[in-house]
Amino acid sequence: MASEIDIFNEYPLHLDPTSKAISLLPSSSQSTTQKAAITTELQELNALHRSLLSLDPPNTPPAPLPVNPKRSAQITKLRDSGNAAYRKSNYAEAIRLYTYAIEMALSRPGWEPVTLAREELAGLYGNRAQAHVGMQAWPEGLCDAKASVDSKPVGNVKAWWRLAKCLAEMSRYAEAKTFLLKGIEIEGRVSDGGKELVQLLEDVEAALQRMG
Amino acid sequence: MVDWLSLAVPLAYLGVLIGSLATFSSLYRKRKAQKAATLEAWFPAHLQRDIYFSLMHLDPSSQTEKKTPAVPESVLKAALLRRATEDIRRVMTLRSQKQALSMLLQRGSVGDDLWQRFLRAEKEMEDEVRDVVAEANAYAPGWGQIIFQSANEMLNNDLYRARVAEHQEKAAEEREWWDKKKTSIQEGFMKELNEEKEEGSTSGQTPATPAKVNEAVPVTTPAKATSVQGSDDDAVLVEADPSVNSLGSPASGGGGGKKKKGKGKK
Repeated sequence: MASEIDIFNEYPLHLDPTSKAISLLPSSSQSTTQKAAITTELQELNALHRSLLSLDPPNTPPAPLPVNPKRSAQITKLRDSGNAAYRKSNYAEAIRLYTYAIEMALSRPGWEPVTLAREELAGLYGNRAQAHVGMQAWPEGLCDAKASVDSKPVGNVKAWWRLAKCLAEMSRYAEAKTFLLKGIEIEGRVSDGGKELVQLLEDVEAALQRMG
Repeated sequence: MVDWLSLAVPLAYLGVLIGSLATFSSLYRKRKAQKAATLEAWFPAHLQRDIYFSLMHLDPSSQTEKKTPAVPESVLKAALLRRATEDIRRVMTLRSQKQALSMLLQRGSVGDDLWQRFLRAEKEMEDEVRDVVAEANAYAPGWGQIIFQSANEMLNNDLYRARVAEHQEKAAEEREWWDKKKTSIQEGFMKELNEEKEEGSTSGQTPATPAKVNEAVPVTTPAKATSVQGSDDDAVLVEADPSVNSLGSPASGGGGGKKKKGKGKK
Protein backbone atom coordinates (compact mmCIF):
# COMPACT_ATOMS: atom_id res chain seq x y z
CA MET A 1 0.00 0.00 0.00
CA ALA A 2 2.78 2.37 0.88
CA SER A 3 4.24 2.07 -2.57
CA GLU A 4 0.94 2.93 -4.21
CA ILE A 5 1.28 6.60 -3.41
CA ASP A 6 4.37 6.73 -5.60
CA ILE A 7 2.75 5.23 -8.65
CA PHE A 8 1.58 7.62 -11.32
CA ASN A 9 0.98 7.81 -15.05
CA GLU A 10 3.65 9.83 -16.69
CA TYR A 11 2.61 12.12 -19.48
CA PRO A 12 5.03 13.45 -22.07
CA LEU A 13 4.78 17.12 -21.15
CA HIS A 14 6.70 19.96 -22.64
CA LEU A 15 7.69 23.24 -21.07
CA ASP A 16 7.94 26.23 -23.32
CA PRO A 17 11.24 27.86 -22.33
CA THR A 18 10.08 31.45 -22.73
CA SER A 19 6.43 31.52 -21.72
CA LYS A 20 6.80 28.63 -19.22
CA ALA A 21 3.55 27.22 -20.58
CA ILE A 22 3.09 23.50 -20.26
CA SER A 23 1.80 21.53 -23.19
CA LEU A 24 1.37 17.92 -24.15
CA LEU A 25 3.80 16.55 -26.68
CA PRO A 26 1.99 15.39 -29.79
CA SER A 27 3.90 12.12 -29.76
CA SER A 28 2.01 10.82 -26.74
CA SER A 29 0.18 7.55 -26.91
CA GLN A 30 -3.11 8.60 -25.28
CA SER A 31 -6.46 8.35 -26.97
CA THR A 32 -8.08 11.49 -28.33
CA THR A 33 -10.52 11.92 -25.45
CA GLN A 34 -7.71 11.56 -22.95
CA LYS A 35 -5.66 14.05 -24.88
CA ALA A 36 -8.50 16.52 -24.85
CA ALA A 37 -8.91 16.13 -21.09
CA ILE A 38 -5.21 16.62 -20.51
CA THR A 39 -5.08 19.64 -22.76
CA THR A 40 -7.97 21.40 -21.01
CA GLU A 41 -6.41 20.62 -17.65
CA LEU A 42 -3.11 22.05 -18.84
CA GLN A 43 -4.84 25.20 -20.00
CA GLU A 44 -6.35 25.64 -16.55
CA LEU A 45 -2.96 25.01 -15.06
CA ASN A 46 -1.30 27.63 -17.22
CA ALA A 47 -3.99 30.17 -16.38
CA LEU A 48 -3.54 29.48 -12.69
CA HIS A 49 0.19 29.76 -13.09
CA ARG A 50 -0.15 33.22 -14.63
CA SER A 51 -2.35 34.40 -11.78
CA LEU A 52 0.12 32.99 -9.27
CA LEU A 53 2.93 34.92 -10.90
CA SER A 54 1.14 38.19 -10.21
CA LEU A 55 1.33 37.52 -6.47
CA ASP A 56 4.05 38.61 -4.12
CA PRO A 57 6.75 36.08 -3.36
CA PRO A 58 6.64 33.27 -2.29
CA ASN A 59 3.92 33.13 -4.95
CA THR A 60 1.51 31.06 -2.96
CA PRO A 61 -2.10 32.14 -2.62
CA PRO A 62 -2.75 33.79 0.74
CA ALA A 63 -5.37 32.52 3.14
CA PRO A 64 -8.92 33.36 1.99
CA LEU A 65 -9.28 36.00 4.69
CA PRO A 66 -8.52 38.86 4.96
CA VAL A 67 -9.32 40.03 1.45
CA ASN A 68 -7.28 42.48 -0.52
CA PRO A 69 -9.43 45.65 -0.34
CA LYS A 70 -8.23 47.14 -3.64
CA ARG A 71 -10.57 45.28 -5.92
CA SER A 72 -13.55 45.69 -3.60
CA ALA A 73 -13.01 49.44 -3.58
CA GLN A 74 -12.91 49.57 -7.37
CA ILE A 75 -16.07 47.55 -7.68
CA THR A 76 -17.88 49.74 -5.17
CA LYS A 77 -16.81 52.82 -7.09
CA LEU A 78 -18.11 51.46 -10.37
CA ARG A 79 -21.37 50.46 -8.78
CA ASP A 80 -21.87 53.88 -7.22
CA SER A 81 -21.37 55.61 -10.55
CA GLY A 82 -23.76 53.08 -12.06
CA ASN A 83 -26.33 53.93 -9.40
CA ALA A 84 -25.88 57.64 -10.12
CA ALA A 85 -26.46 57.06 -13.84
CA TYR A 86 -29.53 55.00 -13.04
CA ARG A 87 -30.94 57.77 -10.89
CA LYS A 88 -30.62 60.12 -13.83
CA SER A 89 -32.59 57.55 -15.87
CA ASN A 90 -29.53 57.04 -18.04
CA TYR A 91 -30.13 53.31 -18.19
CA ALA A 92 -27.72 52.43 -21.00
CA GLU A 93 -24.86 54.09 -19.16
CA ALA A 94 -25.86 52.41 -15.91
CA ILE A 95 -25.88 49.02 -17.61
CA ARG A 96 -22.44 49.69 -19.06
CA LEU A 97 -21.03 50.60 -15.65
CA TYR A 98 -22.66 47.67 -13.91
CA THR A 99 -21.25 45.38 -16.58
CA TYR A 100 -17.74 46.63 -15.89
CA ALA A 101 -18.26 46.07 -12.19
CA ILE A 102 -19.57 42.56 -12.83
CA GLU A 103 -16.58 41.72 -14.98
CA MET A 104 -14.29 42.96 -12.29
CA ALA A 105 -16.05 40.93 -9.63
CA LEU A 106 -15.99 37.84 -11.81
CA SER A 107 -12.26 38.14 -12.33
CA ARG A 108 -11.53 37.91 -8.63
CA PRO A 109 -8.89 35.24 -8.13
CA GLY A 110 -10.36 31.88 -7.26
CA TRP A 111 -8.84 31.59 -3.82
CA GLU A 112 -10.74 34.56 -2.47
CA PRO A 113 -13.84 33.58 -0.51
CA VAL A 114 -16.77 32.54 -2.64
CA THR A 115 -19.26 34.07 -0.21
CA LEU A 116 -17.79 37.48 -0.92
CA ALA A 117 -18.10 37.01 -4.67
CA ARG A 118 -21.69 35.84 -4.27
CA GLU A 119 -22.65 38.80 -2.15
CA GLU A 120 -21.09 41.29 -4.52
CA LEU A 121 -22.42 39.76 -7.69
CA ALA A 122 -25.91 39.37 -6.27
CA GLY A 123 -26.08 43.12 -5.76
CA LEU A 124 -24.54 43.96 -9.11
CA TYR A 125 -26.74 41.61 -11.10
CA GLY A 126 -29.77 42.84 -9.21
CA ASN A 127 -28.96 46.45 -10.06
CA ARG A 128 -28.30 45.65 -13.69
CA ALA A 129 -31.59 43.78 -13.83
CA GLN A 130 -33.33 46.89 -12.56
CA ALA A 131 -31.65 49.00 -15.24
CA HIS A 132 -32.82 46.50 -17.85
CA VAL A 133 -36.32 46.76 -16.44
CA GLY A 134 -36.03 50.52 -16.81
CA MET A 135 -35.23 50.03 -20.49
CA GLN A 136 -38.04 47.47 -20.80
CA ALA A 137 -35.47 44.90 -21.87
CA TRP A 138 -37.30 42.07 -20.15
CA PRO A 139 -35.26 39.06 -21.33
CA GLU A 140 -31.96 40.54 -20.20
CA GLY A 141 -33.51 41.68 -16.95
CA LEU A 142 -34.85 38.19 -16.41
CA CYS A 143 -31.42 36.57 -16.83
CA ASP A 144 -29.71 39.08 -14.55
CA ALA A 145 -32.36 38.72 -11.89
CA LYS A 146 -32.04 34.95 -12.08
CA ALA A 147 -28.29 35.19 -11.64
CA SER A 148 -28.79 37.51 -8.68
CA VAL A 149 -31.31 35.26 -6.99
CA ASP A 150 -29.12 32.24 -7.57
CA SER A 151 -26.15 34.04 -6.03
CA LYS A 152 -28.01 35.05 -2.93
CA PRO A 153 -31.51 33.71 -2.41
CA VAL A 154 -32.01 35.08 1.10
CA GLY A 155 -32.35 38.79 1.79
CA ASN A 156 -32.56 39.61 -1.89
CA VAL A 157 -36.22 40.48 -2.13
CA LYS A 158 -35.76 43.11 -4.84
CA ALA A 159 -34.20 40.61 -7.19
CA TRP A 160 -37.09 38.23 -6.62
CA TRP A 161 -39.51 40.99 -7.46
CA ARG A 162 -37.62 41.95 -10.62
CA LEU A 163 -37.45 38.35 -11.75
CA ALA A 164 -41.20 37.93 -11.44
CA LYS A 165 -41.83 41.32 -12.95
CA CYS A 166 -39.84 40.51 -16.10
CA LEU A 167 -41.67 37.22 -16.48
CA ALA A 168 -45.05 38.86 -15.98
CA GLU A 169 -44.23 41.52 -18.55
CA MET A 170 -43.49 38.80 -21.06
CA SER A 171 -46.86 37.18 -20.20
CA ARG A 172 -45.19 34.17 -18.66
CA TYR A 173 -47.49 34.27 -15.68
CA ALA A 174 -47.22 30.64 -14.63
CA GLU A 175 -43.47 30.94 -14.27
CA ALA A 176 -43.78 34.27 -12.53
CA LYS A 177 -46.11 32.69 -10.02
CA THR A 178 -43.70 29.86 -9.21
CA PHE A 179 -40.87 32.26 -8.60
CA LEU A 180 -43.05 34.59 -6.55
CA LEU A 181 -44.16 31.75 -4.32
CA LYS A 182 -40.57 30.71 -3.85
CA GLY A 183 -39.54 34.27 -3.09
CA ILE A 184 -42.32 34.74 -0.58
CA GLU A 185 -41.43 31.48 1.08
CA ILE A 186 -37.85 32.66 1.54
CA GLU A 187 -38.47 36.30 2.37
CA GLY A 188 -41.67 36.04 4.36
CA ARG A 189 -44.81 38.10 3.85
CA VAL A 190 -44.45 40.66 6.57
CA SER A 191 -41.43 42.61 5.42
CA ASP A 192 -41.78 45.58 3.08
CA GLY A 193 -40.38 43.66 0.14
CA GLY A 194 -42.50 40.68 1.03
CA LYS A 195 -45.65 42.77 0.77
CA GLU A 196 -44.66 43.89 -2.69
CA LEU A 197 -44.12 40.30 -3.69
CA VAL A 198 -47.59 39.42 -2.41
CA GLN A 199 -49.03 42.36 -4.31
CA LEU A 200 -47.39 41.24 -7.54
CA LEU A 201 -48.55 37.71 -6.90
CA GLU A 202 -52.14 38.90 -6.70
CA ASP A 203 -51.76 40.72 -10.01
CA VAL A 204 -50.22 37.66 -11.63
CA GLU A 205 -52.96 35.42 -10.34
CA ALA A 206 -55.60 37.78 -11.64
CA ALA A 207 -53.91 37.73 -15.02
CA LEU A 208 -53.75 33.95 -14.97
CA GLN A 209 -57.44 33.76 -14.23
CA ARG A 210 -58.32 36.10 -17.04
CA MET A 211 -56.40 33.90 -19.42
CA GLY A 212 -58.56 31.00 -18.31
CA MET B 1 23.71 -34.28 28.04
CA VAL B 2 20.38 -33.91 26.37
CA ASP B 3 18.90 -36.91 24.74
CA TRP B 4 18.58 -35.61 21.15
CA LEU B 5 16.99 -38.71 19.88
CA SER B 6 14.01 -38.53 22.19
CA LEU B 7 13.62 -34.80 21.46
CA ALA B 8 13.63 -35.30 17.71
CA VAL B 9 9.99 -36.24 17.56
CA PRO B 10 8.57 -33.18 19.35
CA LEU B 11 10.99 -30.93 17.45
CA ALA B 12 9.93 -32.39 14.15
CA TYR B 13 6.32 -31.93 15.20
CA LEU B 14 6.94 -28.29 16.03
CA GLY B 15 8.82 -27.76 12.78
CA VAL B 16 6.02 -29.17 10.68
CA LEU B 17 3.43 -27.18 12.58
CA ILE B 18 5.21 -23.84 12.29
CA GLY B 19 6.20 -24.52 8.71
CA SER B 20 2.67 -25.27 7.61
CA LEU B 21 1.30 -22.28 9.46
CA ALA B 22 3.86 -20.00 7.83
CA THR B 23 3.09 -21.35 4.38
CA PHE B 24 -0.61 -20.94 4.91
CA SER B 25 -0.21 -17.39 6.19
CA SER B 26 2.03 -16.29 3.35
CA LEU B 27 -0.22 -17.88 0.73
CA TYR B 28 -3.30 -16.36 2.31
CA ARG B 29 -1.77 -12.89 2.43
CA LYS B 30 -0.52 -13.11 -1.10
CA ARG B 31 -3.94 -14.09 -2.32
CA LYS B 32 -5.59 -11.31 -0.38
CA ALA B 33 -3.17 -8.73 -1.73
CA GLN B 34 -3.80 -9.99 -5.21
CA LYS B 35 -7.51 -9.71 -4.70
CA ALA B 36 -7.16 -6.18 -3.39
CA ALA B 37 -5.01 -5.25 -6.36
CA THR B 38 -7.58 -6.51 -8.82
CA LEU B 39 -10.32 -4.44 -7.18
CA GLU B 40 -11.42 -1.67 -9.42
CA ALA B 41 -10.34 1.79 -8.36
CA TRP B 42 -13.07 4.01 -6.92
CA PHE B 43 -12.07 7.07 -8.89
CA PRO B 44 -10.67 7.39 -12.38
CA ALA B 45 -7.02 8.29 -12.77
CA HIS B 46 -6.03 11.41 -10.86
CA LEU B 47 -5.08 13.59 -13.79
CA GLN B 48 -3.84 16.54 -11.77
CA ARG B 49 -1.66 14.33 -9.66
CA ASP B 50 -0.21 12.64 -12.71
CA ILE B 51 0.59 15.98 -14.25
CA TYR B 52 2.22 17.18 -11.07
CA PHE B 53 4.48 14.16 -10.88
CA SER B 54 5.17 14.25 -14.59
CA LEU B 55 6.38 17.81 -14.15
CA MET B 56 8.54 16.81 -11.22
CA HIS B 57 10.13 14.09 -13.29
CA LEU B 58 10.50 16.22 -16.37
CA ASP B 59 14.20 16.40 -16.09
CA PRO B 60 16.29 18.14 -18.66
CA SER B 61 18.68 15.32 -19.45
CA SER B 62 16.00 12.96 -20.63
CA GLN B 63 14.80 15.33 -23.33
CA THR B 64 16.24 14.29 -26.65
CA GLU B 65 15.91 17.68 -28.21
CA LYS B 66 17.78 20.79 -27.20
CA LYS B 67 18.31 21.42 -23.56
CA THR B 68 15.12 22.42 -21.79
CA PRO B 69 15.35 24.39 -18.60
CA ALA B 70 14.20 22.94 -15.32
CA VAL B 71 10.54 23.45 -14.50
CA PRO B 72 10.17 26.68 -12.51
CA GLU B 73 8.83 26.33 -9.01
CA SER B 74 5.81 28.52 -9.68
CA VAL B 75 4.56 26.04 -12.26
CA LEU B 76 4.90 23.25 -9.75
CA LYS B 77 3.02 25.32 -7.19
CA ALA B 78 0.21 25.88 -9.63
CA ALA B 79 0.13 22.18 -10.42
CA LEU B 80 0.04 21.36 -6.72
CA LEU B 81 -2.85 23.73 -6.22
CA ARG B 82 -4.76 22.07 -9.03
CA ARG B 83 -4.04 18.75 -7.42
CA ALA B 84 -5.35 19.95 -4.07
CA THR B 85 -8.54 21.18 -5.74
CA GLU B 86 -9.17 17.78 -7.27
CA ASP B 87 -8.42 16.18 -3.90
CA ILE B 88 -11.07 18.31 -2.25
CA ARG B 89 -13.59 17.24 -4.83
CA ARG B 90 -12.76 13.60 -4.21
CA VAL B 91 -12.81 13.85 -0.44
CA MET B 92 -16.20 15.54 -0.63
CA THR B 93 -17.51 12.78 -2.87
CA LEU B 94 -16.28 10.11 -0.48
CA ARG B 95 -17.78 11.86 2.48
CA SER B 96 -21.18 12.16 0.85
CA GLN B 97 -21.15 8.55 -0.29
CA LYS B 98 -20.00 7.02 2.97
CA GLN B 99 -23.26 7.14 4.87
CA ALA B 100 -25.40 5.83 2.07
CA LEU B 101 -22.96 3.08 1.32
CA SER B 102 -22.67 1.87 4.91
CA MET B 103 -26.45 1.83 5.14
CA LEU B 104 -26.66 -0.27 2.01
CA LEU B 105 -23.98 -2.58 3.33
CA GLN B 106 -25.87 -3.11 6.58
CA ARG B 107 -28.99 -4.05 4.72
CA GLY B 108 -26.99 -6.35 2.53
CA SER B 109 -27.90 -4.53 -0.63
CA VAL B 110 -24.32 -4.22 -1.80
CA GLY B 111 -21.51 -6.69 -1.80
CA ASP B 112 -18.53 -6.67 0.47
CA ASP B 113 -16.03 -5.92 -2.26
CA LEU B 114 -17.73 -2.62 -3.01
CA TRP B 115 -17.14 -1.67 0.60
CA GLN B 116 -13.54 -2.84 0.32
CA ARG B 117 -13.06 -0.66 -2.71
CA PHE B 118 -14.52 2.26 -0.85
CA LEU B 119 -12.28 1.77 2.17
CA ARG B 120 -9.28 1.56 -0.07
CA ALA B 121 -10.22 4.78 -1.83
CA GLU B 122 -10.67 6.46 1.55
CA LYS B 123 -7.26 5.36 2.71
CA GLU B 124 -5.67 6.45 -0.54
CA MET B 125 -7.19 9.88 -0.25
CA GLU B 126 -5.92 10.20 3.30
CA ASP B 127 -2.39 9.47 2.14
CA GLU B 128 -2.84 11.78 -0.81
CA VAL B 129 -3.95 14.70 1.36
CA ARG B 130 -1.07 14.16 3.73
CA ASP B 131 1.31 14.08 0.81
CA VAL B 132 -0.04 17.35 -0.61
CA VAL B 133 0.30 19.08 2.75
CA ALA B 134 3.89 17.90 3.06
CA GLU B 135 4.73 19.07 -0.46
CA ALA B 136 3.13 22.45 0.16
CA ASN B 137 5.10 22.94 3.32
CA ALA B 138 8.24 22.14 1.38
CA TYR B 139 7.56 24.99 -1.05
CA ALA B 140 6.69 27.62 1.51
CA PRO B 141 6.58 27.06 5.26
CA GLY B 142 3.03 27.29 6.53
CA TRP B 143 1.42 26.85 3.14
CA GLY B 144 0.31 23.36 4.09
CA GLN B 145 -2.14 24.81 6.60
CA ILE B 146 -3.95 26.96 4.07
CA ILE B 147 -3.54 25.19 0.76
CA PHE B 148 -6.75 23.24 1.22
CA GLN B 149 -8.65 26.33 2.30
CA SER B 150 -7.55 28.03 -0.89
CA ALA B 151 -8.32 24.96 -2.94
CA ASN B 152 -11.78 24.74 -1.43
CA GLU B 153 -12.57 28.35 -2.30
CA MET B 154 -11.23 27.79 -5.79
CA LEU B 155 -13.48 24.83 -6.27
CA ASN B 156 -16.55 26.67 -5.00
CA ASN B 157 -15.74 29.74 -7.04
CA ASP B 158 -15.45 27.60 -10.15
CA LEU B 159 -18.81 26.00 -9.50
CA TYR B 160 -20.48 29.31 -8.77
CA ARG B 161 -19.05 31.03 -11.84
CA ALA B 162 -20.17 28.19 -14.05
CA ARG B 163 -23.72 28.63 -12.77
CA VAL B 164 -23.73 32.37 -13.29
CA ALA B 165 -22.30 31.94 -16.77
CA GLU B 166 -25.10 29.51 -17.52
CA HIS B 167 -27.70 32.13 -16.56
CA GLN B 168 -25.99 34.75 -18.65
CA GLU B 169 -25.74 32.51 -21.69
CA LYS B 170 -29.49 32.19 -21.74
CA ALA B 171 -29.90 35.93 -22.31
CA ALA B 172 -29.43 35.67 -26.08
CA GLU B 173 -31.84 32.77 -26.29
CA GLU B 174 -34.46 34.59 -24.24
CA ARG B 175 -34.05 37.70 -26.32
CA GLU B 176 -34.58 35.76 -29.53
CA TRP B 177 -37.69 34.12 -28.13
CA TRP B 178 -39.10 37.40 -26.92
CA ASP B 179 -38.45 39.19 -30.23
CA LYS B 180 -40.23 36.45 -32.08
CA LYS B 181 -43.10 36.53 -29.67
CA LYS B 182 -43.32 40.29 -29.77
CA THR B 183 -43.63 40.40 -33.55
CA SER B 184 -46.28 37.71 -33.52
CA ILE B 185 -48.18 39.64 -30.89
CA GLN B 186 -47.96 42.78 -32.95
CA GLU B 187 -49.09 41.03 -36.10
CA GLY B 188 -52.03 39.51 -34.33
CA PHE B 189 -52.98 42.84 -32.88
CA MET B 190 -52.71 44.62 -36.21
CA LYS B 191 -54.87 42.04 -37.89
CA GLU B 192 -57.49 42.47 -35.23
CA LEU B 193 -57.43 46.20 -35.68
CA ASN B 194 -57.65 45.95 -39.44
CA GLU B 195 -60.58 43.62 -39.19
CA GLU B 196 -62.35 46.00 -36.91
CA LYS B 197 -61.74 48.82 -39.33
CA GLU B 198 -62.95 46.89 -42.29
CA GLU B 199 -66.08 46.05 -40.42
CA GLY B 200 -66.52 49.71 -39.72
CA SER B 201 -66.35 50.17 -43.55
CA THR B 202 -63.92 52.99 -43.48
CA SER B 203 -61.29 53.38 -46.17
CA GLY B 204 -58.59 54.62 -43.80
CA GLN B 205 -56.01 51.88 -44.21
CA THR B 206 -53.56 53.20 -41.67
CA PRO B 207 -52.72 50.53 -39.19
CA ALA B 208 -52.68 51.23 -35.51
CA THR B 209 -50.23 53.82 -34.40
CA PRO B 210 -46.95 52.37 -33.21
CA ALA B 211 -47.40 53.80 -29.77
CA LYS B 212 -50.61 51.94 -29.34
CA VAL B 213 -49.08 48.68 -30.47
CA ASN B 214 -46.20 49.06 -28.08
CA GLU B 215 -48.51 49.62 -25.25
CA ALA B 216 -50.23 46.43 -26.04
CA VAL B 217 -47.09 44.41 -26.30
CA PRO B 218 -47.13 42.61 -23.01
CA VAL B 219 -50.81 42.10 -23.31
CA THR B 220 -52.37 39.63 -25.64
CA THR B 221 -50.89 36.79 -27.54
CA PRO B 222 -52.04 34.83 -30.52
CA ALA B 223 -52.75 31.26 -29.58
CA LYS B 224 -49.22 30.07 -29.51
CA ALA B 225 -47.88 27.55 -27.09
CA THR B 226 -44.44 28.52 -25.98
CA SER B 227 -42.25 26.20 -24.14
CA VAL B 228 -40.39 28.19 -21.61
CA GLN B 229 -36.69 27.89 -21.23
CA GLY B 230 -34.70 27.94 -18.10
CA SER B 231 -37.19 27.76 -15.32
CA ASP B 232 -37.36 25.22 -12.56
CA ASP B 233 -40.39 23.58 -14.02
CA ASP B 234 -39.31 23.12 -17.56
CA ALA B 235 -41.73 23.26 -20.41
CA VAL B 236 -44.58 25.04 -18.77
CA LEU B 237 -46.97 25.86 -21.52
CA VAL B 238 -48.20 29.36 -21.64
CA GLU B 239 -51.27 29.29 -23.70
CA ALA B 240 -52.65 32.60 -24.57
CA ASP B 241 -56.14 33.41 -25.56
CA PRO B 242 -56.45 35.92 -28.35
CA SER B 243 -59.69 37.28 -27.02
CA VAL B 244 -58.24 38.53 -23.78
CA ASN B 245 -57.21 42.12 -23.72
CA SER B 246 -55.24 44.48 -21.53
CA LEU B 247 -53.76 41.98 -19.18
CA GLY B 248 -50.78 44.15 -18.70
CA SER B 249 -52.59 46.87 -16.87
CA PRO B 250 -52.28 45.56 -13.33
CA ALA B 251 -48.68 44.54 -13.77
CA SER B 252 -47.48 47.62 -15.56
CA GLY B 253 -49.49 49.81 -13.20
CA GLY B 254 -47.57 48.28 -10.36
CA GLY B 255 -44.34 48.82 -12.23
CA GLY B 256 -44.69 52.56 -12.35
CA GLY B 257 -44.56 52.90 -8.64
CA LYS B 258 -41.66 50.56 -8.25
CA LYS B 259 -39.18 52.16 -10.56
CA LYS B 260 -37.35 53.60 -7.62
CA LYS B 261 -36.66 50.20 -6.21
CA GLY B 262 -33.16 49.85 -7.57
CA LYS B 263 -31.85 52.87 -5.85
CA GLY B 264 -31.86 51.39 -2.42
CA LYS B 265 -28.78 49.38 -3.18
CA LYS B 266 -25.61 51.21 -2.40
